[in-house]
Amino acid sequence: MEKWHIVVDIEKCVGCFNCMLACKDEHVGNKWLPYTDEQQKHENKWINPEKHERGSVPFTEICFVPHMCQHCDEAPCEKKFPDVVTKRPDGIVLLDVKKAKGKKELADACPYGAIVWNEELKTAQKCTLCAHLLDDGWTEPRCVQSCPLRALSIVHCEDTEFEKLADKQNLKPITNGSNQPRVLYKNLYKFNKVFVAGALAFLDGDIEKAAVDARISLSLNGKKLLEQKADFFGEFKFDKLPKNSGTFTVECLMEGYNPIRQEVTVGNECVKMELMTFEGR
Amino acid sequence: MGRKADKGLEIFDKTVLGGTLFALDKTLNALALAFPEFKMELRKKNITVQMKLRDESFGRLLKFKDGFVTSNNGIFKDADVEMVFEDENVARKVVALIRDQAEFVNAAKSGSLALNGPDEEAMWFSALLLKVFAFDVLYAKNYGTKMPNGEKRYVTGTNGGPLFVYVKDDKIVRVTPIDFDEEDAEPWTITARGKKFSPPKRTTAAPYAMGWKSMVYSPDRVLYPMKRVDFDPDGERNYENRGVSGYERISWDEALDIVSREIIRVRQTYGAGAVFHTSGSHHTWGNCGYYLSAAKRFFNCLGATNAALNPDSWEGFAWGATHHYGGSARNGGCEPYSTVEDCMQNSEMIVFWSSDPESTAGVYGAQEGTIRREWIKKLGIPVVHIDPYFNSTAAFMGGRWIAPYPGTDAALALAIANVWMNQGTYDKEYVADRTKGFEKWEEYVMGKTDGVPKTPEWQEEHTGVAARTVRALAEEWGRKKTYLACGGITSFGCAGRTAFGTEWARAMVCLIAMQGLGKPGVNFGGLQYGTPLDTRFFFPGYADGGFSGDYMGTGAGVNIYNRMPQSPSVNSETQLIPRLRIPEAIMDGKTEANHMGVYSVQAQFAKIKYPAPGHSTVKMYYKYGGSHIGTQPDSKRFARMYRCDSLEFVVNQSIWMEGEAKFADIILPACTNFERWDIAESANSGGYIDKTYLQNNHRVVFVQHKCIEPLGESKSDFDIFQAVANKLGLWQVFSEGNSEYDWAKRYFECTDLPKKISWHKLLKKGYYVVPPLPENRRDPVAFNWFAKGIKKDTPELSPLPSEHYGRYNEGLQTPSGKFEFEAQTLKMFDPNDEERLPICTYIPSWEGRDAKELYSRFPLQLISPHVKYSFHTMGDGKDSNINDIEEHRKLVDGFRYWIFRMNPEDAQKRGLKENDVIEVYNDRGSVLCALEVTQRLPKGIVHSFEACADYKPLGEPGYAVEKNGCINNLTPSRFITKNAHGLAVNSCLVEVRKWEGENK
Repeated sequence: MEKWHIVVDIEKCVGCFNCMLACKDEHVGNKWLPYTDEQQKHENKWINPEKHERGSVPFTEICFVPHMCQHCDEAPCEKKFPDVVTKRPDGIVLLDVKKAKGKKELADACPYGAIVWNEELKTAQKCTLCAHLLDDGWTEPRCVQSCPLRALSIVHCEDTEFEKLADKQNLKPITNGSNQPRVLYKNLYKFNKVFVAGALAFLDGDIEKAAVDARISLSLNGKKLLEQKADFFGEFKFDKLPKNSGTFTVECLMEGYNPIRQEVTVGNECVKMELMTFEGR
Repeated sequence: MGRKADKGLEIFDKTVLGGTLFALDKTLNALALAFPEFKMELRKKNITVQMKLRDESFGRLLKFKDGFVTSNNGIFKDADVEMVFEDENVARKVVALIRDQAEFVNAAKSGSLALNGPDEEAMWFSALLLKVFAFDVLYAKNYGTKMPNGEKRYVTGTNGGPLFVYVKDDKIVRVTPIDFDEEDAEPWTITARGKKFSPPKRTTAAPYAMGWKSMVYSPDRVLYPMKRVDFDPDGERNYENRGVSGYERISWDEALDIVSREIIRVRQTYGAGAVFHTSGSHHTWGNCGYYLSAAKRFFNCLGATNAALNPDSWEGFAWGATHHYGGSARNGGCEPYSTVEDCMQNSEMIVFWSSDPESTAGVYGAQEGTIRREWIKKLGIPVVHIDPYFNSTAAFMGGRWIAPYPGTDAALALAIANVWMNQGTYDKEYVADRTKGFEKWEEYVMGKTDGVPKTPEWQEEHTGVAARTVRALAEEWGRKKTYLACGGITSFGCAGRTAFGTEWARAMVCLIAMQGLGKPGVNFGGLQYGTPLDTRFFFPGYADGGFSGDYMGTGAGVNIYNRMPQSPSVNSETQLIPRLRIPEAIMDGKTEANHMGVYSVQAQFAKIKYPAPGHSTVKMYYKYGGSHIGTQPDSKRFARMYRCDSLEFVVNQSIWMEGEAKFADIILPACTNFERWDIAESANSGGYIDKTYLQNNHRVVFVQHKCIEPLGESKSDFDIFQAVANKLGLWQVFSEGNSEYDWAKRYFECTDLPKKISWHKLLKKGYYVVPPLPENRRDPVAFNWFAKGIKKDTPELSPLPSEHYGRYNEGLQTPSGKFEFEAQTLKMFDPNDEERLPICTYIPSWEGRDAKELYSRFPLQLISPHVKYSFHTMGDGKDSNINDIEEHRKLVDGFRYWIFRMNPEDAQKRGLKENDVIEVYNDRGSVLCALEVTQRLPKGIVHSFEACADYKPLGEPGYAVEKNGCINNLTPSRFITKNAHGLAVNSCLVEVRKWEGENK
């Protein structure tokens, strides 16, 4: 049967927080029984784009990663609390409003931190994917409907069909995927990968100029992995490197000048290399 | 026409009139039977009304008694109210069910229609007649779209896009952006580099639009008229306790009585000028309820001192760039037409310079531009961002980020010009044909006049940006057709709000002129403004004056006068206070500043002086909302101002209890635009930003439904003004007897909407999408006419005919008609003004790294751009959902602090870490914030947005440490340049330390 799937494209998220605001707009002060009780006005968020910063001046990058209930097919919350958690045939995971009361430990059952504790109502709550609206004929939950670029989007199709789409678009779960989440992410590299960036210059008389014609390569254990041409600022960036992936050799070539070779160790953070200046042969 | 025909017409008119009046009592009784609420209305008065022709040749008496109406033909003496028509012709036209607005206004103006009797009875009868025309809306509630689940869907507008508003049981359930349906117009398509691009069929919403429901139901709403507990209009007023004392609820009667008595008292005691009114720059959305409509008309009727507005978003362009290329009607802004398509098709690079539309949404642009900027990523056009802060646009689009020290952008720009001049990589033909005075500027840039060539190496010591980087940018720019985006929309930008920010804006237009402004691919814009929409469809913006009747003080004289019949209104009091000097005017009793006139370039050289000759200083302040204290520079001045005794009375008409509202003697509770009627278009301001809606992907015009009843005892601004006007005998003068619903309908009739959709249908559906024109009828590209040297063919009426010194519509608004690198207007004004020479130069800031003594004490340069998640103060505070955005405020120890951003090295040097509560201070003040440590700033530059909504001093207002993040407590009030009335808040030095004090 057709089921709900959510796709999050990190490159399209502009950090407007409309998803979080739309969720609050729908659920704070509104009771959608039997799906869910009201959301707590403050502190509780059922979806939240979390900011992630990488790199340093001037190679700073910002991205936002929306966190929400993953509506897992192998939901850890369901396994621990089968009487409270319902997996609907259309994929949506819901908490039983009555049975979730007083069960603070439900919040701990979610490895994604997506179940929150509503202190005012003394109950565990989470995203319902606006099931009350989808069941009423809406085609998108509130977070998706308010997303300007549909960085958040929803797909209603057979699981097999969605698998093909996930393959084609290289969609990945935010963690290892063992819980079979129904929320898949695109361009996660901005969140979980690192880059090596740097600038190249040469001296034209006594004027320092950007080495716009330089070619830069990245090698690991003598094997050339990536190569690129410097941009018009004489700068380069090798992106999508796994964290802690080792010590690389950066080789910079420019015709008429001595090659520059430097070792760079990629750890948990992005690497900004100091300015490298070509010297004449 | 012969006499016989005249006679025939007279008889016809009398018959129609007789029939109409004969049916009137029956109509009223029938409506009362159908609608109990109308019956209640009828029951309110037991009076008699004589309707008659002036010569008493025809008359009918209406008797209202206990909710029933009866009537008789004839002339009767001692009726309570008389409605007198000059003759049968006037009467027929006015009374006819489809009223002729122009005839009505004419009749009222010429005295051909008069309503005599006690105000209260006359008003009641007049309103009753209008209610008959609006009964299906007012009583049958026949508007909005019924949803299957019992909710009703309405439409409203906001500063961040239009919204669907779902309502059940008089409560807003949700607000959403608008998804178009199948009958709405298909969008346009741009074909660029082999790809086709069309916007999705929906509107977008800014975060502050998505937060509106939480603002409507804010616990900070003022729900009842309030009086300061220790304010006694007939005894002790205790001015010094403003901002400290609490408030008590009073009745509307008492509030209106105090306010109207005070208006009359100060005006009769002190004469012209004694009443002062200001509002924030932006109001709740809607063309009739806007401050440039309802408030404008009210204060014109009253006679009041106004604020002379500084062009706060345009400063640098208005006081600087306009001298090179005109555009005074746009405050120095440039044409936008068809630049989105041209940019996508022809440009090879985009430079965003002090431009962050992803934060500012241009202005009112919701997230419309975001969609188009994603296309730029798809087209692979390289982008560069120049901004001291790694802003949201840079974060979204990628590309190289260049961070000059605040206020040094002009130096960077001069170095780019220097490279082009040295290498000859500019459009020499264009410069020769289309510009004037280039040699003068070239002498300066090349160092011939002062021995200092403005090279990339020279700029490095001022800007901190490597010469190599600037040279590389200049060379690439010299090679590639480049679009230049300044500010979120165009001609705005933080850099224009620095000391001598005029020079940055001037440099921007000079650079683009060197590369051939208006040639394909060379223009201003960052995909925010200039979509291919239909500019011919007539629907005005809010600044076009609504029903203000003010043909000079708003855009009405340009855009509405020939379409919307209304009686004119004029403020007979000429006194003005420069907005940036309001506190000085009140506290010192005198001030002066240049006045930004928009009709000509040189108008800005004139000064306004306060007090005006023969005018009183201000004794009463009628303030609209509480925003100045969050948005104006050195804003503690306002707290001190309110607490001085020269202001005898302060009334604030406010939706929320925040900011300056807490300094008033009387607070009048205003409702939001969700609680009143109006009509408007998304992102259409009109006025200074002609065709602002070209930021949108669709022209969406809408009625603004009264979605819910006003909360508590709050009233719409219109109804409050009407109530005060009634007390002053101004009821007909203020509103022509019309309600705000009537005005919305009258407004509809003046636009092109009736050609496309009936009022009835618009009331149901709520909005109309104006179809875009076919591709071959799109507007010409901005300034392309100028590049070609042909007549101006872009669709706008500015500049005025008299602003062409040569033949009309040929050339720019400069004396030569050419782009002037050496500005003749500045040369004629003062060729030796070192702060603004006829050519663009770099002038080091008085509050930057060159201000040695100050810099040694406060070594951090603070920029405070327009806030991202709140529309100025509209969104922040009020316990709205906006405050839960972790990028907006940070929750530390139970309080949501304003965010202050700093580079890790600067933080480490001060022993500070993420989420520390810190004190940001300088000689002007001290503000608490929560720290964000970030690589979005280089060392030495710090960032915190402007416009915190509420002012929370930890002690004496005007002096104490401020807790809530009122960053403008710290910014300088010095003018951008001495002969300008412009702010320079981004030239602000501060120091930061961990806050160890008490927080209460």
